[in-house]
Amino acid sequence: MMGILACGGKPDAASPKHAGQFRVALLTPGPISDQAWNAGAYAGLMRIKDSLGAQVSHVQTKTPAEFEENFRQYGTQGYDLVFGHGFEFQDAAERVSAEFPRTVFVTTSGGRTGPNLAGMDFAFEEGSYLAGMAAASVSKAGRIGAIGGADLPPVKASFAAFEAGARAVNPGVVVIVSYLGSWDDVSAGKEQALAQIGRGVDVIFQNADAAGLGVIQGARERQVLAIGANANQNGVAPGTMLGSVVIDLPHALLTVAREVRDGKFVPRVISLGSRDEVVSWTGSPALSRPVPAAVALRIDSVRARMRAGAFRLSSASAPHK
Amino acid sequence: MSDALTALLEGSVRTATPLAFAALGEVVAERSGVINIGLEGAIIAGALGGLLAAGAGGVVAGFAGAIVAGVAVAAVFAAFTIALRVDQIITGTGITLLSLGLTGAIYRAAYGTGGAALGTPTIGPAPVPGLSALPWVGPALFAQPVTTYVVMILAPATWWWMYRTHDGLALRACGENPEAAEAAGIRASRLQAAAVLWGGALGGLAGGTLVLAQAGTFAEGMSAGRGFIAIAIVVLGRWHPIGVIVAGLLFGAANSVQFLFQAMGWQAPYQLFLATPYVLTLVALATVRSQGVAPAALGRPRRDTA
Repeated sequence: MMGILACGGKPDAASPKHAGQFRVALLTPGPISDQAWNAGAYAGLMRIKDSLGAQVSHVQTKTPAEFEENFRQYGTQGYDLVFGHGFEFQDAAERVSAEFPRTVFVTTSGGRTGPNLAGMDFAFEEGSYLAGMAAASVSKAGRIGAIGGADLPPVKASFAAFEAGARAVNPGVVVIVSYLGSWDDVSAGKEQALAQIGRGVDVIFQNADAAGLGVIQGARERQVLAIGANANQNGVAPGTMLGSVVIDLPHALLTVAREVRDGKFVPRVISLGSRDEVVSWTGSPALSRPVPAAVALRIDSVRARMRAGAFRLSSASAPHK
Repeated sequence: MSDALTALLEGSVRTATPLAFAALGEVVAERSGVINIGLEGAIIAGALGGLLAAGAGGVVAGFAGAIVAGVAVAAVFAAFTIALRVDQIITGTGITLLSLGLTGAIYRAAYGTGGAALGTPTIGPAPVPGLSALPWVGPALFAQPVTTYVVMILAPATWWWMYRTHDGLALRACGENPEAAEAAGIRASRLQAAAVLWGGALGGLAGGTLVLAQAGTFAEGMSAGRGFIAIAIVVLGRWHPIGVIVAGLLFGAANSVQFLFQAMGWQAPYQLFLATPYVLTLVALATVRSQGVAPAALGRPRRDTA
């Protein structure tokens, strides 16, 4: 086989599977049309393709069995780098990485490492904290909500930070947290939002991927405010969005891919946050109920301290390892 | 407190509407002896069909598109199970999986990776003058989107057709013993195919309701198991159109209570709340006597009588 390739004029045939081209794969837990968590990772994959000239592949997976099977597929095919997009991919990545030492496995959101296994740790809590400050400052009722797809540790940590940020502005604020048990059920997202709004909530932070669109729809219909997550969702419903806690996933994925391509990759937990400007709180520009100037200043000051690494969230809302 | 109750009832009816559509269609198919596990596929196809057609021609076109898409999926099911007499459960499962995958692919081809966002037109509530002002039940029953009123009319209409017309009798005969029905001069296969297509149309409407009366967008897999819940509702409603509506409302209420419990901010594992509708279903199935109520020939491919 190698001989044939060599005769075919390929100088770099030491590893025929690689054949010189850098190959990157992405596993997402949901559809990449969610305009949030999954869309951001796919945009990252596309940027890796464009910037590094990599050959890329994406697959949408649902169950842990599928995580492992697809990791193994890419490992067998000799991919250089495989991303498992989310905390839930950790177990599968850990098991499969041992079998394919030539492939680097990275789980976005995860704290486990191995010789060819790394986790990313987005300081999503930092942006969530700022979102909480903004939410509490515009809530007339002093009641704000958070709706998640499932209580994954990063989601819980984010909501805890959201609550902490809200309390920093209004110590008496009531924060109601609900989970949908689904990341796809848009209708359930809307119903849960309506239920919270029915209990007096007037700002809702969603972190439910595609189902989160339903949360935003419910907020829009009842004319309360919504906060987007993971991608900049401010354009999804202008006038309804107070802002978004954005992870610059394309930047994060590209950074890791570049390290792997250049042979500079070191297995570790890759921590990215406000300091790297990978996580940020992005307020909507046009709002009928803007964040009061005094609170906006406080948000800016906390943000500056986060960027300088001088702001520590309490352990309750610290990233889960 | 009455505000909370009103909101709860409203939410129950909203949640029940797509389920009732799907279950009212499925009950007709099952009474003809065909169990269509592919109902989930008709719902997700209806959701996408509704989105695409509404994008092109507005909400009314959207509902028409939802029906067409649901019928198309049901036609595939009918071709395999009635014309070719393939096992109904296997065919239905295959059709559900195929539809979930295919709708995702078509959605991406049509809208790219950006998705449809929230740009789809939706129908808002259309309060019935007078009735919607009734205390408690008024807003729940009479300040809903038009689709809910269609379900309310459809349930007694289905009952009347099933139990008071010759065709309805023929349908039920097929479900009990298609060979005997055939011998009595009923064109069983044709009637079963019509029943399945009708079920597909209503499944499509269920999907259309999700998109055009509720979410205002599409998401891959947004049917989220409603087809299977509708099949359970048919059993719970003991294969009777009115029973199905009651069971659908019960399920909607259980869901709504679950949403409300979480919104109350009570400190309890949310999984307990999420499980409420399913626990209720199991309890109801275990306690409601359903033996001898199911159509005798349900799920059985027709034998050759010739």
